[in-house]
Amino acid sequence: MVINKIKNSVKKMLRPAGKAKAVKTVRQKVAASRVTAKKTLKSRPAPVVSAPEAKREVVLGINEVAIEKTKFSHPQVRKVQRVMPSELPYGYGKDKMVLQVRDPWWLQTYWEVAAGTWNTLKDKLKEMFFNAKKVLRVYDVSHIHFNGKNAHRHFDIEVSHEASSWYIDVGGPGRSWCVDYGLKLPNGEFITILRSNTVNTPLDGPSWVTDEEWMIPEEIFGRLYGMGFGFGKSSPVGKGWQERFKHALFSGVLASPGITSAGSPVKLPRGKGRQFWLVVDCELIVYGATEPDASVTVQGKPIKLRPDGTFTLRFALPDGKQVIPVKAVSADELEERTITPIVSRETKSSQVLKEMAAT
Amino acid sequence: MNKGYLCLVLHSHLPFVRHPEHEDFLEEDWLYEAITETYIPLLWVFEKLVEDKIDFRVTMSLTPTLISMLTDPLLQERYSKHINKLIELSHREIERTSWQPEFQHLAIMYLNLFCRARDTFEHHRRNLVLGFKRLQDLGKLEIITCGATHGYFPLMDVHKESVRAQLKVAVDHYERNLGRKPRGIWLPECGYVPGHDELLREAGLKFFFTDSHGVLHGHPRPKYGVFAPVYCKNTGVACFSRDLESSKQVWSSIEGYPGDYNYREFYRDIGFDLEYDYIRPYIHPDGVRINTGIKYYRITGPADQKEAYNPHGARETAASHAGNFLFNRQKQVEYLYDFMGKKPMIVSPYDAELYGHWWFEGPQWLDFLIRKISCDQDTIRMITPSEYLAENPRNQVITPSMSSWGWKGYSEMWLQGSNDWIYRHLHEGSERMTELVHQYPHAGGLAQRALNQALRELLLAQSSDWAFILGTGTHTSYAVRRTKDHLLRFNRIYEDIRANNIDEEWLADIESKDNLFPDIDYRVHQ
Repeated sequence: MVINKIKNSVKKMLRPAGKAKAVKTVRQKVAASRVTAKKTLKSRPAPVVSAPEAKREVVLGINEVAIEKTKFSHPQVRKVQRVMPSELPYGYGKDKMVLQVRDPWWLQTYWEVAAGTWNTLKDKLKEMFFNAKKVLRVYDVSHIHFNGKNAHRHFDIEVSHEASSWYIDVGGPGRSWCVDYGLKLPNGEFITILRSNTVNTPLDGPSWVTDEEWMIPEEIFGRLYGMGFGFGKSSPVGKGWQERFKHALFSGVLASPGITSAGSPVKLPRGKGRQFWLVVDCELIVYGATEPDASVTVQGKPIKLRPDGTFTLRFALPDGKQVIPVKAVSADELEERTITPIVSRETKSSQVLKEMAAT
Repeated sequence: MNKGYLCLVLHSHLPFVRHPEHEDFLEEDWLYEAITETYIPLLWVFEKLVEDKIDFRVTMSLTPTLISMLTDPLLQERYSKHINKLIELSHREIERTSWQPEFQHLAIMYLNLFCRARDTFEHHRRNLVLGFKRLQDLGKLEIITCGATHGYFPLMDVHKESVRAQLKVAVDHYERNLGRKPRGIWLPECGYVPGHDELLREAGLKFFFTDSHGVLHGHPRPKYGVFAPVYCKNTGVACFSRDLESSKQVWSSIEGYPGDYNYREFYRDIGFDLEYDYIRPYIHPDGVRINTGIKYYRITGPADQKEAYNPHGARETAASHAGNFLFNRQKQVEYLYDFMGKKPMIVSPYDAELYGHWWFEGPQWLDFLIRKISCDQDTIRMITPSEYLAENPRNQVITPSMSSWGWKGYSEMWLQGSNDWIYRHLHEGSERMTELVHQYPHAGGLAQRALNQALRELLLAQSSDWAFILGTGTHTSYAVRRTKDHLLRFNRIYEDIRANNIDEEWLADIESKDNLFPDIDYRVHQ
């Protein structure tokens, strides 16, 4: 006996969210300063909301990031089983300050002050210790051997008491920097607790120095410079070409128009407004049984029986009529049976958008 | 007579993902997908070109972590199972789509692809590195190395010992697997900081790559922009720089070829589209839907409504895109040749996994491009960096600028609110590793094993991939876990060594899990 059964399947077409939202890798510009270490250890970054992101800046590397990200496919959910359940220590119990370059304009520093160091300071400063502000002193130490006193200039950033890392806007490409973490006493005196390593920010434009042996006229260099950045022969030239490049490269003018119209693979979330949706499809399961040694064909094609003589076939069922003759022939070829299910599918759909209830 | 050179660079990398402790581990699929969709299709393209006697030059990095995985017997066995399951699924798909001819011929296409992939895999005795090595030995490929675990060097700058270890382990590993020393390196994420060229020189490396602004913002001004390599001041290591115009044509989501509506849609996979009970045996055992690699639609347009993929139309498009790319390079080279009074070098680097995995038709495009360059024109010659330097030994000396090819061109992708917490721990790890090397310069036996494993764990923690995934902000748990696990293992070894209390059983266990770089020598970390 052959029974056929239509299986309607309402499917959520689940998508790998991580991929579909590849463009979201363009994260917000990091805020001027953050108390990061503590927060990020405890809480994961909040899920990124979709709507306003389409307008985000598109700058160097966005495509590289989006494409590279597709290598790392992810499931929707994943249970985390820790091999070693313990967490990393919050600190390592020592005095340490590290300064790193994020880009030509921004530095990042993190630090740790040993408990003993704090105690010594408390003993020494007494009352003043508790009235002191915690401060980062940022020194411009370009082209000098810094001894703590000979910086070209410095500026202070007051940081919160519990902060242990900070992003610093130095706004100074092509310079060298060093940072102290210390206490600023009510009388204005600055006491250094930690001193960082020295770092150099890169230039944010071409060097002003030309090698004598490899001289090149300004105009020609400007052209080559633009071509290297992919502006082709339409590179901005003439007066102020450097400024115009800087603007184009780092402010997003370079690649921004049109990314919202990209079909795929760098795919944007669906448009604004309501995002309700429904997908319905049908499959047909044809199954049955006969003598295990019989030969069976379905729509004329031979199929394989299970050892017990049963069989199951599964078909995507498009709209229209399907005639499905199932024919079994006995092993000795003396008997033949045919059963022919006829199935038709017709799909109708409708959409209703009700008025929103006033709230 | 040619008027310029094209240097195609394919950077092939995956982080070390190998979990013998789980029968089926989702992130290992990154490797299996890349093998089926990128590494094997690239081998097909290159091997066919050799067979057809088409001369070509492609520069390709194979990162030490990728080589480690491609040569690992456990992962090879798992890949074999993986491809067999895909073949089984394709058979079921051919039956299921009997009444949908527009999909059934695609199911047949996938069955053929997967069967061929399995044949190629077995043909190379399951070791695809041998396939690429053969192409290098034939002089067609120049394989370059990368940081041992793809650590992002600019954020390791405060501990150059770690950069040195990344380089020395990589060079040594390359030599063991490819039978000679590497001449050049793809710096992980193109991350360069002035001074690291000295570390490259120490490791015997002759050249590396930066993004465009690495050279354009170098000091003094580079006379030929990105169209000729420069030598780094004091070290003489050559630096090749990316041409953004040719990059954009392929990478860009706006102007880039891969977004063409005829190409296959990456995001519509039957792993997500089909009925759950049916697809269940082919997705993750936890029941989580994942990509299977069987995708039936073409990009079609910006709307969600997609049409069936047409391989012939896509192939035509790939051919015309290859022609367009070549035409643009010819124009570019002719213009630059007159302008510079010298043959320009166009350096076009791409993530290898772009080809095939993400851009399904990418390998076809590459095949068309190489054939057209070889047969249809004389303006452009394909070249490798080593050949270029041999033919053009005189180059300008400058100090390139700090740069990367990541988001915004510097370090922000790997240094932002979501991932900056890792550096405190990574740097402490580097400091502790250096301390161990100084304290135990001649360790043997169990202590030596522990020290070697300590360096493996530190290197694994340093992979830029973890910070990258954290930076993208989605599905970060695996990256968090890997960063912490390796650091926790490292810290425990550090403490055990100092307390002279090494737990051999535990050590053996993590040696068997994080088993890459079997010949590592912890002393390179100094």
